[in-house]
Amino acid sequence: MTGLRQIAFYGKGGIGKSTTSQNTLAALAEMGQKILIVGCDPKADSTRLILHAKAQDTILSLAAAAGSVEDLELEDVMKMGYRDIRCVESGGPEPGVGCAGRGVITSINFLEEEGAYEGADYVSYDVLGDVVCGGFAMPIRENKAQEIYIVMSGEMMAMYAANNISKGILKYANSGGVRLGGLVCNERQTDKEYELAESLAKKLNSKLIHFVPRDNVVQHAELRRMTVLEYAPDSKQADEYRTLARKIHENVGNGTIPTPITMDELEDLLMEHGIMKAVDESIVGKTAAECAVA
Amino acid sequence: MSQNAEKVLDHFSLFRSKEYVDMFENKKTFENAVPVAELQSAADWTKTREYRDLNFAREALVVNPAKACQPLGAVFAAVGFEGTLPFVHGSQGCVAYYRSHFSRHFKEPTSCVSSSMTEDAAVFGGLNNMIDGLANTYNLYKPKMIAVSTTCMAEVIGDDLNAFIKTAKDKGSVPPEFDVPFTHTPAFVGSHVTGYDNTMRSILEHFWDGKAGTEPPLVREPRDSINFIGGFDGYAVGNMREVKRLFGLMGIDYTMLGDNSDVWDTPTDGQFRMYDGGTPLAAAAAALHARATISMQEFCTQKTLAYVAKKGHEVAAFNHPIGVAATDRFLMEVARLTGRAIPEEITRERGRLVDAIADSSAHIHGKKFALYGDPDLTLGLAGFLLELGAEPVHILASNGTPEWEARVQTLLDSSPFGKDCHVYPGRDLWHMRSLLFTEPVDFLIGNTYGKFLERDTDTPLIRIGFPIFDRHHHHRYPLWGYQGAMNTLVKILDKVFDVTDADTMIPGKTDYSFDIIR
Amino acid sequence: MDLTLDEVKARNAEVITEALSVYPDKTAKKRAKHLNVYEGDKPDCGVKSNIKSVPGVMTIRGCAYAGSKGVVWGPIKDMIHISHGPVGCGQYSWAARRNYYIGVTGVDTFVTMQFTSDFQEKDIVFGGDKKLDKIVDEIQRLFPLNHGITIQSECPIGLIGDDIEAVAKKKSKEYDNKTIVPVRCEGFRGVSQSLGHHIANDAVRDWVFERGADKPALFESTPYDVAIIGDYNIGGDAWSSRILLEEMGLRVVAQWSGDGSLAELENTPKARLNILHCYRSMNYISRYMEEKFGIPWVEYNFFGPSKVAESLRTIAAHFDDHIKEGAERVIAKYQPLMDAVIAKYKPRLEGKKVMLYVGGLRPRHVIGAYEDLGMEVIGTGYEFGHNDDYQRTTHYVKDGTLIYDDVTGYEFEKFVDRLQPDLVGSGIKEKYVFQKMGVPFRQMHSWDYSGPYHGYDGFAIFARDMDMAINNPVWGLTKAPWNAGH
Repeated sequence: MTGLRQIAFYGKGGIGKSTTSQNTLAALAEMGQKILIVGCDPKADSTRLILHAKAQDTILSLAAAAGSVEDLELEDVMKMGYRDIRCVESGGPEPGVGCAGRGVITSINFLEEEGAYEGADYVSYDVLGDVVCGGFAMPIRENKAQEIYIVMSGEMMAMYAANNISKGILKYANSGGVRLGGLVCNERQTDKEYELAESLAKKLNSKLIHFVPRDNVVQHAELRRMTVLEYAPDSKQADEYRTLARKIHENVGNGTIPTPITMDELEDLLMEHGIMKAVDESIVGKTAAECAVA
Repeated sequence: MSQNAEKVLDHFSLFRSKEYVDMFENKKTFENAVPVAELQSAADWTKTREYRDLNFAREALVVNPAKACQPLGAVFAAVGFEGTLPFVHGSQGCVAYYRSHFSRHFKEPTSCVSSSMTEDAAVFGGLNNMIDGLANTYNLYKPKMIAVSTTCMAEVIGDDLNAFIKTAKDKGSVPPEFDVPFTHTPAFVGSHVTGYDNTMRSILEHFWDGKAGTEPPLVREPRDSINFIGGFDGYAVGNMREVKRLFGLMGIDYTMLGDNSDVWDTPTDGQFRMYDGGTPLAAAAAALHARATISMQEFCTQKTLAYVAKKGHEVAAFNHPIGVAATDRFLMEVARLTGRAIPEEITRERGRLVDAIADSSAHIHGKKFALYGDPDLTLGLAGFLLELGAEPVHILASNGTPEWEARVQTLLDSSPFGKDCHVYPGRDLWHMRSLLFTEPVDFLIGNTYGKFLERDTDTPLIRIGFPIFDRHHHHRYPLWGYQGAMNTLVKILDKVFDVTDADTMIPGKTDYSFDIIR
Repeated sequence: MDLTLDEVKARNAEVITEALSVYPDKTAKKRAKHLNVYEGDKPDCGVKSNIKSVPGVMTIRGCAYAGSKGVVWGPIKDMIHISHGPVGCGQYSWAARRNYYIGVTGVDTFVTMQFTSDFQEKDIVFGGDKKLDKIVDEIQRLFPLNHGITIQSECPIGLIGDDIEAVAKKKSKEYDNKTIVPVRCEGFRGVSQSLGHHIANDAVRDWVFERGADKPALFESTPYDVAIIGDYNIGGDAWSSRILLEEMGLRVVAQWSGDGSLAELENTPKARLNILHCYRSMNYISRYMEEKFGIPWVEYNFFGPSKVAESLRTIAAHFDDHIKEGAERVIAKYQPLMDAVIAKYKPRLEGKKVMLYVGGLRPRHVIGAYEDLGMEVIGTGYEFGHNDDYQRTTHYVKDGTLIYDDVTGYEFEKFVDRLQPDLVGSGIKEKYVFQKMGVPFRQMHSWDYSGPYHGYDGFAIFARDMDMAINNPVWGLTKAPWNAGH
């Protein structure tokens, strides 16, 4: 397994993590890399653009039907998609029942035991929003992903989540080998978004590896369940993902141990960039209507 | 008053006296007890084919299973290494259960610690429990190695043993070079045999593959020695010692991996030995260089053997071999792997076993048996029964897989005595109860829990398996080797003769067969 | 050889210091609060209790599941208790506690059976409520004479967020308001078995009393109705107690929970007095019944003739002269037997020293029985006691007694090694450790598979067993004669 790159995309839900990861991986495939995607989100939407499918049969749903994971074969769960990208989805329970985190552990153990990683240049884990329990940290344990890419934007909550994920990485970085590869900013067209993303990356002892501009072509491609790389290979946006892919490819060994910041520091950062004013105690807890009256 | 100081009556006889019997009858008034007729008809119904079909239609409920959970197997494997204290990360009650369970079987102390995780650790993870726990264990009990496994609690919340142990070492809980192999042993996967397998593999991985990245992996330099793995075995004490004796007679250079025959058989001489015997840690590391690894229990060592094979060992796996042919195969494989001849002394032991079988087989031939237990044990016993001309009619393993099922079927197909026999993977002892009522057999072979089946179905129980709580010291005698098969034969014969005597001892009715020579 | 009181105290204090010296500082500081030499004039034993066990020290404690399924609920004989979760918990506790009962096992009685949902990985990931739903159906189909079901949660249930209460309510409705009791006794809750007792008591309150309040009575009340609370009938203890209560003229309408039934639980509110043996595990429900139904409760102790007589009188004091006379009659009736037992065994046991380490009530309750035989308890401690237990213990122990709460394997071995008792009374995990050391031992949870030990009949057995342990010829054989000199 020498030379196998294991990376993971983490990010707050709804940030465009799956879209970004699939487009980037499609671009990596275009570069001739052999890719395996391991979806670790119970929603199982990490491979739909590659497979042109609504949702893939997941390891856990198939295992539940068959009895246990021991009853599954690798070919039952692995599908081939765009440019022979191999896709598996861990899957998991409906929201509110069972333990999705355990599902991630089960699935990754299964894939390793079955030799799913053999012959791949890249394994990419696509992981739900936040590191909510030990199970969702499975991809950053030792001998799993070496670099984590956090997908974020200039929105407060996305930055907050990015900081939290950094905390999760830090926890494992000292004992294992996991590093923060960088931040990927998915443009939301918030104020001073690029500068904010840059500053946050710096604070986290990392870098903004790429700023992906917003472009409607992404939505057009998504509607067809395709990546931009496949739908509109000549578009400017496809080139953006190619750039991101190249940067990630060249980023091997350049990951860092993150230095997560406190909530206060995060607020300071927003203030520095004029997004937030110094806390005016008179407005705390006031509704917009109340403020207007005042 | 029936109690008296001269001959003190305890529960065996006290409660049969009239005053207590009357009291029990009177108590029923308050119990909403089921009327006798209704009770009797329900009891009779449970013996029917109709009930059996309903029983076998169960999809969710498990009643009286013959299996335990992974960490029990982890503890079993770990105590077989020199100076090793098993450390189970998770809830503490589990460890109290494992220790009790083993102590009730072996009548010996069983040392094992827990990281005592409670509700806060369930929320925040058990890292601090690992850090403090390893430090306390190391200071108090001065082990040479701490083998970490997990309870289902730690597995559900997803604690990462590798990272936790590294952090604990960074914090000085144990010295950096101190051996802390670890393995995840979720109770909701497999059974105790899985836990044994995972732990054995993890300990070998620890020594061979560079101790979780802290040292360079060992490079194999093939030698002529062999490794021996017994698997999870209630007869480990007797069996391991018997195998060592046989290997000694053959002059073999060997390493027993996971040798718990001493720690579960320490003398009463005024000293408590928390650790005794076991595979020396240096030998566990050097075992990488062996030419071959032999496992006595294939289904208990599947992952271990796959790992060992990948290291370049030749691998030989048996299914708890019992009897002439099974022991022949075992010894011939050992002879082939080591190039050592089987000495005359062992050949004579074989001859004595064949002699004994020839002397006694008339009393076993054609008898029907039901048996249950771990996958390998049931295979070994079924093979021996077929060899004795008996019919292993119902063969059940609660932790039996489809692969086990196929293997048993192949065994049954290989003998005319296996013709009307059936194999039941993944079933429990309540299924067995229905089988014994609807397709009765002469004898049942199983562990202590089989006594409930013996009571319900009137099938005499021969106790072979794990756990055996209600008979003492049988674990000290082997089932393996020709001597072990002899013990097994005698166990079976003793029960056959006892039952025959009991069936023929009514004076004036059945006593014509109450013979003094059999 | 006999030490003075001051010497004993000094020695015991030294032994504690020695034991603590091996721990890392942080742990030593914690453990120090659980070890003490009792000062005779103090209102408690001077130790902290009911606190989390320290990781990695080999605590002897169990878990909340053990306290609920193993202790409180498990002995209720006509209900089916599902060990809900992976297979192990139910397996290790299967029939291990000898809660004796009368009944046809597997048909109308289920105590010595192991019912489990045998959780697999898919049940963890997708949740186990659907499986539980189906299990209730299968129980109803195969065990139609069961009078109720309890769901004993193992660790994963609480972690994956299963809603067993909802399943219990739904299935209860489907089966004609059947009593189905969800019990949240996951093993990681609390610090020992003790919280499991409390949770189980609360489950009786919520799911038997509060939900089933309108069940018809099975009998006409009398002024002499009592319920035995907190006797698990180990080796038949509740029976050798019940017989005395009935002999003195009382009527026992319920046994909690050894040889107990759901009907007995339901009918307890009709009792005039609840008599409580194991305070630790069932004081909660006794207090509840006092508040809710106005039933007074009284603690008693049926170990050894002194305490039995004292307790019979205490119980009788709650009734009229008819019962008081009955108590005297019973005491008088058994006096000759007790005299004979003591005459036989006391000479063989007089002056022998005992160290105890047990659960619930026994670390204090059995002391009187030993004293009736002329023996002395020099050290005692609770696996899962609370401060109120240690307060109650002061009525039993002598000045200078070594007290150890939640003792670790290491400490216990050290203490016994230094104090050199003639007998240790503790559990299966400790038994062989001390026997290897050449110290006579009796299991004081399971009575070492003997019993009963309660009541007058039980005391004869207790005396015989202690004699059997201490005066076993084997203890003279532990040294090989060729090594005897050293």
